Amino acid sequence: MIVTRRAWLVAMAIVLTAMSPAFAQQQFNWQQAKGSQLRVMLNKHPWQGAIEPHLKEFEALTGVKLVTEVYPEDQFRAKVLVELTSGASSIDVFMSMPAQEGLKYMRAGWLQPVDEFLKNPALTAPDYNWNDFLEKTRDAMVIEGKIVGVPIQVENASLMYRKDVFQKYNVKVPTTLEELDGKAMTDDGQPGYGIVARGKRAAATSTFAAYLHAMGSTWLGPNREPMFNNEDGVKALDLYGRLLRQYGPPGSENNHWYEASSIFSQGKAAMYTDSNALFPVIEDPQKSKVIGKVGYALFPRGPKGQYGSTVAVWGLAMPKTSQNQKAAWLFMQWATAKEQVLAVQSEKGVLGARDSVWKDAKGLSKVPADLRESLTVGSKVGTPLWNPPVVAVAECRDAIGAAIVVSIQGGDVRAADNKAAADVKRIMAETEKK
Amino acid sequence: MPVFTGPSVLAVTLLMAFPVAYTLYMSAHSWFASSLTSPQFVGLGNFRRAFVEDDRFRNALWLTVYFTGLATLLQLMLGVAIALVLNRPFRGKGLVRSIFLLPMVATPVAIALVWMMMYNPTLGVMNYLVGLVGLGPYKWVSNAAVVVPALVIVDTWEWTPLITLITLAGLATLPIEPYESALIDGASSAQMFWRITLPLLRPTIIVALLFRAIDCLKTFDIIYVMTQGGPGFASETLNVYTFQVGLFYFHIGYASSLLVILFALVLGVSLLLIKVRRGAR
Amino acid sequence: MIRVSKGRRDRVNPWTYMLLVLLLVPFLFPLGWMFLSSLKTQVQNTAFPPVWVFVPTLSNYREVFQKNPFFTFTVNSLVVALGSTGLALLLGLPGAYAIARFRRTGIALGILTARMAPGIGYLIPWFILFTKAKMIDTYTALILTHLIVALPLVLWVMMGFFEDVPGDLIESARIDGCTHWQAFLRIAIPLAKPGIVATGILAFIFSWNNFLFSLIVAGFKTRTLPIAVYSFLSYEEINWGGLTAAATVITLPVLLLALLVQKHIVRGLTLGALKG
Repeated sequence: MIVTRRAWLVAMAIVLTAMSPAFAQQQFNWQQAKGSQLRVMLNKHPWQGAIEPHLKEFEALTGVKLVTEVYPEDQFRAKVLVELTSGASSIDVFMSMPAQEGLKYMRAGWLQPVDEFLKNPALTAPDYNWNDFLEKTRDAMVIEGKIVGVPIQVENASLMYRKDVFQKYNVKVPTTLEELDGKAMTDDGQPGYGIVARGKRAAATSTFAAYLHAMGSTWLGPNREPMFNNEDGVKALDLYGRLLRQYGPPGSENNHWYEASSIFSQGKAAMYTDSNALFPVIEDPQKSKVIGKVGYALFPRGPKGQYGSTVAVWGLAMPKTSQNQKAAWLFMQWATAKEQVLAVQSEKGVLGARDSVWKDAKGLSKVPADLRESLTVGSKVGTPLWNPPVVAVAECRDAIGAAIVVSIQGGDVRAADNKAAADVKRIMAETEKK
Repeated sequence: MPVFTGPSVLAVTLLMAFPVAYTLYMSAHSWFASSLTSPQFVGLGNFRRAFVEDDRFRNALWLTVYFTGLATLLQLMLGVAIALVLNRPFRGKGLVRSIFLLPMVATPVAIALVWMMMYNPTLGVMNYLVGLVGLGPYKWVSNAAVVVPALVIVDTWEWTPLITLITLAGLATLPIEPYESALIDGASSAQMFWRITLPLLRPTIIVALLFRAIDCLKTFDIIYVMTQGGPGFASETLNVYTFQVGLFYFHIGYASSLLVILFALVLGVSLLLIKVRRGAR
Repeated sequence: MIRVSKGRRDRVNPWTYMLLVLLLVPFLFPLGWMFLSSLKTQVQNTAFPPVWVFVPTLSNYREVFQKNPFFTFTVNSLVVALGSTGLALLLGLPGAYAIARFRRTGIALGILTARMAPGIGYLIPWFILFTKAKMIDTYTALILTHLIVALPLVLWVMMGFFEDVPGDLIESARIDGCTHWQAFLRIAIPLAKPGIVATGILAFIFSWNNFLFSLIVAGFKTRTLPIAVYSFLSYEEINWGGLTAAATVITLPVLLLALLVQKHIVRGLTLGALKG
């Protein structure tokens, strides 16, 4: 058989057309799971609030029905955990922070890795572009070598401050922890506090992580023994507690981010160290008194020049027990496709995880320049270890949180830190036998 | 007769016996929630761990006793005192009793949140009120040193009326004769109270105490909602600790053993009180 | 002090009223404060010293009802409360009767013991069972768990009421040829009606107020009111106006119920104690 030249040309044309994105796009079958129903568990979170109005677009596009359930965070985590434990869960997709529960869920056999889905052109739209996600967010979705989810947003521990108050007292934005210490003073003559932050046991661990890393310490050493109670770690713990004790509101040890952000958005504190994902909350036109007056800075660096920004990434994950994995994957990629990320970012100021959206003028419309700056830099230099990388994260967070509370109350910081380290070691030994 | 008790017994067995059996079984095992590993038998290991190694448990045990002791004592004294006042003649007894019922029937979760608001160190009305008499400001439930008393205040507000109502009912059934003879003998009111009223009331009061003690040992709602056991672990009673261990950390085996211990505590206190009551008869 | 002169009208001591007011105010204050705060704006609620005189607003209530499916929550609470109360009465009345008539004190003690067990002990095994049976987020599951509280309550209190039914009445009925069931239905139940009302109301109130069981067993569709008010605590930041409005809405039904049927409730509660 001699293949004629003509045949070759035709064949080439077909191959080239098939390879072109437009053609491929038309070829990607969004309707391949039509008729199925997905049970989606969502945490009550700015992203959830932003995506909800768009969900019907997904249903129209794919013919897949969505049944979503929304719970406040603590309850959300408990519910997902209990359901997965029973082994008979009907959850198809859930919001997940792999840095918090990923390791445990993976080892318990509950997560469905999505590497194969991503690589399969029949299942993943060609313009999905996995590499468009910021590097650290992609890393955050990898547990024990497998990709377990898709990132929906990114956040850093950062320093939020009142531009007007700083101007009034002619104070420059602190860029190091030492400067933070010096600037957090509360002026006795004025109502309000120098600084506010979380103090509530486990919840405080998330923000404390920034101080810990800025000081040059971290949770676990090279052999996975706790090292956060070394010299630098103790300094960090002492600083955290002292700042709140001396310049923070009374009762800090009972404050979650709800209380802390409330204090800040009611104009009662000059500085606030917490996640910049709280941006929509702080600038909520209906509740905030400090709209437009807030500056978003990179978390101060430590004495050795270490960055303290932590990178936290929420994503969507799929349980292994899901009976609708194809449909679930379609939802996961739709929700994190460029169009949707652009939408949530430009509409509600959710900090998306896509580089292209950050370069898009529309994506920047709601986000102040300094926030964009600190987020971009923070996400590059920051550490994903805002939680100790262990299996029993909740328990360890409580153990470390207890030490934070002691520090806020003015107790023996070193002893508390050592005790927390001993507790973490014990917990790890119990729960991580391979 | 089986027809009568049958359905109830069946229901009780299904509803309660199964969880009890499961809890007992699991208390002798160790199971860290996972679909891959199954429970491992550890015999009395969990119990040993609780009493010997786990200081968070010992803290919880102490806090449970502290909270219950303080609360029941306070409620007993207040409850009986108020009952004596309410026993006087006045118009509108029905109305007053209704008002006293309200704290008891109000939804605990809702009440806990309102108290949280009132206890707020900077904006709460409690600090305002105590400020009027020159006290405070306090940190209430945000301070490890006073969190338990602050919680006891809430529990007392909620349940003192129960003691009052039970005591009132008891007062109503007291016989007249002892008082009449005492009056003839020239006894004073105080003497009548201490020598006649109290001893006669004792069985009733002890039953009220029993109910309250059982409930206090197991108090969950207000503590969980207001402090989640904090600040730190300063208000983490055994029930709250068990909840964390079981439903947050998912150490089902260890949580089961904690439950057995808590139950034993409640049973022990109850038996003690029942014995005291029998003695009072 | 015991007033020995029962049956004669005593002069009411005016100081008594003063004392009463002094006692009642602390018990009423939190409820009153809750209601007042629900009518204030966020600015007024976060003011210190607290604002006592202000123009009330209904915006919090509007917000509560618009932003949350409070109607659904209420329906859920109602269904579960009525369901568990009804079931508890159905199962418990015959049982209590038998215990009272045939002096089954052993079972009585068993019930008291059941009351002592911590709720979480029931929860974990039940939750795992319900999840495996795919019964989470169903009314059935919730009603069953609430039954764990309601049934012992019915048995315990009704035991006392049935003991009060004169034995002779039952005996003569039996001699006349009634079966046990007929004696139960025709004589015991009508005589014990006040007790049944009391117990039913108490069981309803406890189910309505139940937090722990509903927290774990209820799902998205069957969330009850206590869960709803608890979830006000998250993300919405501390919105005290909304919170107290929600709290008022939740407690109002039981508060009103208590005021209306106070006599019965008191009887139920105290009888359980006196007969102990």
